[in-house]
Order: sequence, then structure tokens, then C-alpha cells
Amino acid sequence: MTVLVVLTVIEIVVLIAALAFYLFWVGTLLARIAVNLEECAEIIRGIVADAALIGPGVEHINETGGVVAGALPLLYGMAEEIVTDVTPRPEQPAEPEPARPASGTRRSRLLHAVGFSPDLSRTSRAASPGHSRCTCPVGLPPS
Amino acid sequence: MHDLAMNSTEHTLWVWALIVGLIVLVAVAALLSLLIYLVQIIDRRVVTVRDTLKAAKANTADTVLIPQVATGVDAVLAEGLQHHLFLGRVLGKVKS
Repeated sequence: MTVLVVLTVIEIVVLIAALAFYLFWVGTLLARIAVNLEECAEIIRGIVADAALIGPGVEHINETGGVVAGALPLLYGMAEEIVTDVTPRPEQPAEPEPARPASGTRRSRLLHAVGFSPDLSRTSRAASPGHSRCTCPVGLPPS
Repeated sequence: MHDLAMNSTEHTLWVWALIVGLIVLVAVAALLSLLIYLVQIIDRRVVTVRDTLKAAKANTADTVLIPQVATGVDAVLAEGLQHHLFLGRVLGKVKS
């Protein structure tokens, strides 16, 4: 009988000790989890506070940027008009020059053979006498 | 002091009660061990979630610059309006 009583007491003590040990262990783990979850909640509140700035800020930027983009063509149109008005234009000559071929004058060996070299660059002054030079040694009169 | 006498049946029942109690003790230990295992998994996952949230917080920390950018764009718009007024004045003088 004494053995049974002792065994019963030992069993009860072991049960209580096991329950206490496991409860302490679980309590420690749950406390750590609670701390981590509290930190998570704090971080989430910060994220929500940061994200709350995005919507109104982006909407403001979008609206203002649209106004700027719409006003820029007007600005550079006015600037182009000003530049066009203030750019000096070359004055037109009172008496327009005669049209000359873009390829220049054609060299004639026949004229060169007789010592005549027309100076066509001064054609505009053709009205003045003695325009062409004659280097002919045979005494041809200048044209 | 009385001497508690026990017959054979009572002794057998007590012994069986002790055996059942021992089985219950082992079962309780096993279930509590399973509980500890699951809670440890939860603890690890919570740490992972916390680290992920920290990274997300770092990513969203720069959103405080958005109102500053909005202020800068407003300044650009104000400067553009000044340019518009200036070009309007100059254009009127040039045309006149």
C-alpha cells in the first residue's frame, strides 16, 4: 500500500511538473511571437502612413504637369514669332544682277589663241568701255 | 492510526489507475511537444514576415519626396507663367 501511495504521488508530481515546464516553454514562445507581431503592426502602420502620401502627391504632379505640357507649345510658338520678327533680312539690291550660269564661264581656246580673255566676272560693268582685256600682240583692237 | 486494509480488487484497480495515469502523462507530454513544435514554426514565420515588412518599409520610405516633387512642379509652372508674360510683352513690342 505504501508503494502505491508513493507511486501515485510521484505520478501526480511528474504530471504537474511536465505541465508547468511545457506551459512555461509555450508562454515564452508566445511572448516572443507577440513582440514580433507588435513590431509588425508598427511597421505596417508606417507603411500605411508612407503610402497615404502617394495618391494625392501623384495626382497633384499629374495635374500640374498636364498644365505645363499644355502651355509649352504656346511659349515656344511665341518665341518663334519673336525670333522671326527680329531676325534681320538681307536687303534686296535696287538693280537685280543678271542671271549667270552656276557652272561658271566656259573657257574658249579659240579666244585664248588670239590673246583674248574675257573677264566675265565683271559682266555687270559691261556697259563701261574697255571692259575686256586684250593681250593680243598682233594689235587686235579691244572689243 | 488505522491500518487501511485493501482487498485484491482495490489493489488491482489502483495499479490500473496508476498505469492509466502514466499513459495520460505520456500523451499530455506528446501533445504539448507537438504544440511547442507548431508554435516554433509560427515564431519563425512571424520573424520572416517582420523582415519582409521591414524591407517594404524601406521601399516606401522615399514617398516623402513626392510632396517635394509636387512643390517643384508647381515652381516650374509658376516659372512658365512668368515666361509666358515676358514673351507676351516682348512680342507686343516687337510687333509694334
